[in-house]
Amino acid sequence: MEEFLFVSITLAIDTSTSRTSVAIVDEGALLWHGFKDGATSHGSAVPALVSEALKSAQLIEQVVVGMGPGPFTGLRVGIAFARTFALARLIPVIGICSLDAIAAQVREKDDFIVATDARRKEVYWAQYRAGLRIEGPHVDLPSVVVALGMPVFGEGAVKYSIAQNDEDQFPDMVALVNLAQNSDIHIDEPLYIRRPDAVPTSERVK
Amino acid sequence: MKSEPLVLGIETSCDETAVGIVRGRTLLANVIASSVEEHALFGGVVPEIASRAHLESILMVLDAALKESKISLNDIDAVAVTAGPGLVGALLVGVSSASGLALGLGKPLYGVNHLAAHVSVDLLTHDAPVEPVIALLVSGGHSSLLQIDDITSSVVKLGESIDDAAGEAFDKVARVMGLGFPGGPAIDHVAKFGNARAVDFPRGLTQSGDWQTRPFDFSFSGLKTAVARYLESTPKIVRADVAASFQEAIVDVLLLKALAACKKTGIDTLVIAGGVAANSRLRELAAERCQAAKIRLRVPPAGLCTDNGAMVASLGSLMVASGRSPSQADLEADSSLPVTTVSLT
Ligand SMILES: [Zn+2]
Repeated sequence: MEEFLFVSITLAIDTSTSRTSVAIVDEGALLWHGFKDGATSHGSAVPALVSEALKSAQLIEQVVVGMGPGPFTGLRVGIAFARTFALARLIPVIGICSLDAIAAQVREKDDFIVATDARRKEVYWAQYRAGLRIEGPHVDLPSVVVALGMPVFGEGAVKYSIAQNDEDQFPDMVALVNLAQNSDIHIDEPLYIRRPDAVPTSERVK
Repeated sequence: MKSEPLVLGIETSCDETAVGIVRGRTLLANVIASSVEEHALFGGVVPEIASRAHLESILMVLDAALKESKISLNDIDAVAVTAGPGLVGALLVGVSSASGLALGLGKPLYGVNHLAAHVSVDLLTHDAPVEPVIALLVSGGHSSLLQIDDITSSVVKLGESIDDAAGEAFDKVARVMGLGFPGGPAIDHVAKFGNARAVDFPRGLTQSGDWQTRPFDFSFSGLKTAVARYLESTPKIVRADVAASFQEAIVDVLLLKALAACKKTGIDTLVIAGGVAANSRLRELAAERCQAAKIRLRVPPAGLCTDNGAMVASLGSLMVASGRSPSQADLEADSSLPVTTVSLT
């Protein structure tokens, strides 16, 4: 049986790629969408975009946020904001794998891969079949992904010139919200995939 | 009459995830979660571990602070947050959490300076502010002497450390002595059993020429090296004596310069703030010397000297009370925010 959530107006946030994306989605329709590109601008972009977004809908009923994988610092910005905004409004916050929201817009019948930039010349990637993630997310060199012999989509694929097209690079915000209707794929914690670099501040070169 | 501003403050600039709530000068809640034990393995704060811990703890800490204060989120007048200086990834978790809260509630957000907040926390335990003051701000990241005419708008830097911060010197010396991390409390403890006059360690930037050129600056790297050399070259060392002598050298210089700043400016109140202000010898010697020099001394209780949310809330509440403008929605964390910038608009 399909679970139906009686939620209409959603604030959607994703900061897993170099694009900070914020949207208001009402029953599957995009009411407002804004984004800002820049790998280090998530911190200022999220609140700026959300305050714009709130002009088109004040009464938000839930928050859906991309949980990555993605570069850690930017990723955390979206999640931290989403959680406290939800706390302030006493509404639920739902986390979704950001790669799934990229895959949802890909028109490809056979198996394919979504790859985003993981920095350090690596990509975060996952494999999809018939709209479902069947492998990943993992982090690897682009060559590892190429060796799988499937079409590749996403910002990381474009960056390392292994992409099928340069359109489906970033999470689709309506797809992100639609995915949240399936409670089986909700994620509570950020998808870091990598361990932290354990270099203390006192050892760093100043 | 409008009651005093109720402000919630968030602090995540280093390894403490902290939320404080104040009403005017009354402390209602002060909750801290620390990731210090995770960093101890590495002998220093690991930025990525700190940032992950902030995100993991912030909601829990917020919740605990609200329970402790017995207020509801909707009652607060403003949200304040440390916007810098600090570790950029760590700061961003706090700033994003604070903006989510502020926008969710529709309340103003104040991005404030961590260092000014260390000084303003003094208000929570003392009577009305007595400005101007000289502030000696000593922590793991900073050692500065400041002249503060108005904590919400006018902070002038008289001097600062030209190399290691005082707290950093404690950490590094504790490490060469095998005392563990963080070094401040470890040395403070061991030094209690030692003779502070046992070893005559150097006092940086206190030669007669230095008083002309760098009267209010500090230098602790020579001291750190001197301790390391002493340990290497001395066959039979008494660790407590070394710890006490090192601590005495740092504390001596800090107070010499702080009192010189009071004298030079004619300001008769000294506030000592920051994590190192929790050091028992610094507190003791400061009391002695200030009394002799007829300087009024204000040091927050040790629990409010280390990083906490109450200090951020206290500065936020002063910002509200003095009608300062809140920060814009696109407030940006600034890891190297200068001490003279009290708040970001
Ligand atoms: Zn501090």
